[in-house]
Formats: sequence, structure tokens, C-alpha cells
Amino acid sequence: MRPGWRNIIPHIVLSVFSLAILLPLIWVVRVSLTDKLTAYKIPPEIGHVGIENYIEIFSTYPFERWFFNSLIVALVSTAIALPLATAMAYAFARFNTGGAFLRLGVLASQMLPPIILVLPLFTLFFSTGLMQTRMGLILAHLTISLPFLAWMLVSFFEGDSASLEEAARIDGATRWQAFIKIAVPVAAPGILAAGLLGFILSWNEFLFALVLSGADSQTLPIGLASMETHAGVEIAPLAAATVVSLLPVFALLPFLRKYLIKGLSLGALK
Amino acid sequence: MMVRMGQASNAADRRDRRFGYALAAPSLTVLFLIILFPVLSALFTSLHEYTLIAPNFDTFTGLANFKAALGDAEFRHSAWLTLRFVIGVVLLEFVIGFGVALMLNKVERFKPVYYAILLCPLLMNPVIVGLIWRMFLHPNLGIVNYLLGTIGISPVNWLGDTKIAIWTVILVDIWHQVSFMIVLLLAGLSSLPKEPYEAARVDGANAFQCFVHITLPMMRTVIIVTLLIRFIFAVKTYDLIYIMTRGGPGVATDLVSYFIYRTAFVSLNIGEASAMSILLLTAILALTAYLYRYMRSLN
Repeated sequence: MRPGWRNIIPHIVLSVFSLAILLPLIWVVRVSLTDKLTAYKIPPEIGHVGIENYIEIFSTYPFERWFFNSLIVALVSTAIALPLATAMAYAFARFNTGGAFLRLGVLASQMLPPIILVLPLFTLFFSTGLMQTRMGLILAHLTISLPFLAWMLVSFFEGDSASLEEAARIDGATRWQAFIKIAVPVAAPGILAAGLLGFILSWNEFLFALVLSGADSQTLPIGLASMETHAGVEIAPLAAATVVSLLPVFALLPFLRKYLIKGLSLGALK
Repeated sequence: MMVRMGQASNAADRRDRRFGYALAAPSLTVLFLIILFPVLSALFTSLHEYTLIAPNFDTFTGLANFKAALGDAEFRHSAWLTLRFVIGVVLLEFVIGFGVALMLNKVERFKPVYYAILLCPLLMNPVIVGLIWRMFLHPNLGIVNYLLGTIGISPVNWLGDTKIAIWTVILVDIWHQVSFMIVLLLAGLSSLPKEPYEAARVDGANAFQCFVHITLPMMRTVIIVTLLIRFIFAVKTYDLIYIMTRGGPGVATDLVSYFIYRTAFVSLNIGEASAMSILLLTAILALTAYLYRYMRSLN
């Protein structure tokens, strides 16, 4: 290997790129650890370092309620969507159920901008009493996670286990047994990763929560957005709240890496 | 191998089909109730005069809402702005993303480190992205203008200037989403075969020629899928606008999702907002059908 410009240039570009991503994140962490006055100081000072802001978001703002609502909505909507989507994806992959028409329909419902759905959901929830409830929000998030999971899981069932299932069927297993005892366990890692992505989709969702939730069912994104308006720009607690809401997603990242490409490309790339 | 009689195989096929529908039925029921039915009801609403001040379907107005929407200069502005915004972010993210992906594909050392870092923004909540960048870009108290000041550049009114605001949103969107391009394009690049490059080098081709005549043609499908998916998702951009600019200053960043939101929940005209969303839906469906046809041609 000859060390020279040719080999160094990519590293320079990639380092600059990485810093462009990292520095803002590091800066948020720094702001979250300063007191309110230091947070505004220009030029920046090191000043005081402490975790007061993290305490304040729980004492001054209903942060734990936002967090809890986000957790419940994301967990329940994913728990409903995952088995339903798994069954439909298997039907698509193995029996070509509904043909191209149905598959295109599922893809299209995933591509829908949420603004299109939020208007009719608003009027429907209004007349059915689901408005401002967690249950309503869970249903709304299903419109995102169910098509996403179904579409992504189809590619997990294409291939690997088909011949195993056939062997089991010849040995007398029913179609249901072949599905539940062979296909699902073989695809389990993918199903799990898809579930985590579904969780994150719901965790990050904003528009449905903005329009359909009320004071008791507000999720984190809505809470964070409201922190900024009703406290002026108190950036120090806001930064602390930001850090806490990013933690679950960053904690899940290592488990997703292998399946991220499939998830992002909607199953088109491996 | 099992040799089945025609009739027995027909019966098995029929039972296969029934089983498939039984498995898909719960999902399809839910999708019908929470997606198809609401979309149909939006279509119904769009044909009526329906406001939140008088929320009933008494007056059938035919296509009046569509006419009003298409005749609304602000709606046309936001649709046109959205188109330019989407093309802008997709192309810029593609160029930057492809560049970074090519470099990542070349290096060995530190590759996992670079990769782990670039994944960070990808799963971040757009609300958080918007909030932290608003904090950095504050005209007087933001760190960005301070840093620019240290190298002698006068403060920029990032979100308050009608000419600059849309570019600021585009830049923040790039920070947030460029990794999407990198991850998918890198996946495509790393699965390319090595032989054509070796053959080209023997024939004396330089790096640029290799890129144009080997990399680009072989990456065609990956590039198109990546661009289409990103394009469709960019049309949905809403959160960043809500958090960073609320469509402003004036209507400088009023993307179509946000404009429809305002029509429905600020002007309280659900009927006209539904008509606009049906128009948006038509555009998205056409794009999706194209993406689907393309994805199927891959297999």
C-alpha cells in the first residue's frame, strides 16, 4: 500500500462528513448539561456542568406522561400490527394472495402522506369518541406500521423456508403448522427487526399525534414541540428532553443494523 | 417428487388459496377500516361543503371544492414549491450521498466508525431535528452565526428571510436524510462484481471512465429505487416545516402538506382541504404505481 493523497482524501471527506453529523449532537448534549444562562452565552462558555435540566423536565413538564404515552402507543400499535402483518405477508409470499393488485394497494397505503388520512380520521374519531384518546392514536399509527411491516416482511418469506415447509407438509403437517412452526421461526430475526422499525416509526410520528391527541394522550414529539412554545425558548431543558427521547431509538440501532437496508428500501435491496 | 393427479392438485390449490385469504383477512379488514374507508370518506367530504363551523354533509357541491382548490393561488404556490423542494432535496442528497457512498466503498480502516455515525440522524425524530437546528440557527443566540462570525461572515437570518428560509429547510433536510441515500447506495456498490473493473483497468480505463461506463450502468436499478422511494417520502415533509417555520416567513416554506393542514385546521375548511388531499393522493398513487412496476421488474 502506498500512502499518498489518493488514500487520504476519502478519509478527509468522510471525517468532515462525520463531524458534520456528530458536532450538532455533541452540542445538544453539552447544552443539556449547562444551566440556563450559560446555554445562551455567545461566545460559548464552559461554565457550570450538572444534570439540573434532566431533573427539571420531570418536575416542571409532564415529561414522564409524554414518554409513557409514546411508549404505550408505539408498543401496542406494533404488537397489533406485527402478527397481522406477518400473516398477510406470508399469504402474499407463499400463495400470491390477491395478486399484484393487493400488493400494490399495500405499497400505496404505505406511501400515503399522513395529511391525506388525518382529515378523515379527525372527522371519524370526532363522531366515534376516539378523539384525544390513546386508543385512537394507536389505530392511527396502525395506518403507518401495518402496511410498512406487511410490505417489508414479504421479502423475508420469499425463499428460505419454502422447501422446509413443503417437506413438513409431505410429513403430514397442516398449512397452519407449516406457517407457525416453520416459516415464522425461520423468519423470526427479520420479523423482530421489522417490529423494532415499526416501533420507531410510531415513536417518531408527529402529525397524527398533533391532530388526534389531547392533553392526556400527548406523545413525546408533541410534548417537545409544545415545550418550545410555552416556555419561550428555554433551550437547556429542551436539549435535555431531546437527549432522553433519542435514547430508546439509539439503543435499538445495533439490533437493527443488519436489517436496516431491507427496511429502508422497502425490501427492494438486501 | 410427488406426482399428483390434476384433480387432486386443483383441490390443493383451492385450499392453498383459501388459506392465503384466511391469513390475509384480519390485516385486510383492519386496512379497510383505517385506510380505505377514511380515504373514501375524504373523497365523499371533498364533494360536499363541509367546514368545522358547520360540520355536516347537507350541501352536495360536486367539484366546487376542487375548482376552489385549483383556483387558489396559495395552493398552486405550495404545490409548485413542494415539487421544487422535493426535486431539490432528492438531487442534492443523491449527489452528496453517492459521493460519500463511493468513498466509504473505497476505505477499509474506520469504515464501521463512519457508518455507525452516519446512521445516527436516520432514525432521529424530525421534530427533534427541527428543534435542535432552530436552536443552532437562531439569528442572535445561535452557535452557527457565532461560528460564521469568527471567520468574518456577517450573521444570516436563516429562518426569517423569505429568500433564505427554504434553503435552510433544504439544508436541514439534507443533514437528516442524506444517510438514507448513503446506506442504500453503499449496499448497491458493495454488491457489484469486481471483474469488470479489473478488465477495464487492463484496457487502460481511468477511474472516471470506470465510474461512468461500469458503476453507473450496473447501479441503475438501485439508483432508481432509491430515488423513487426518497422522492415519495420527501413529498410527505411536514414535521420540519411545522417546527422550523410554520410555512413562513409569509408563504416562503409553505409545503403542500402544511398548507392542507392550515386549510383544514386553521381556516377550518375540511371540504376544500379534502379536495386538495385527493389531488395529492392522485399524484402519489401515480408515482407509487411506477415504483411498483419498477420493483417488480427487478425480480
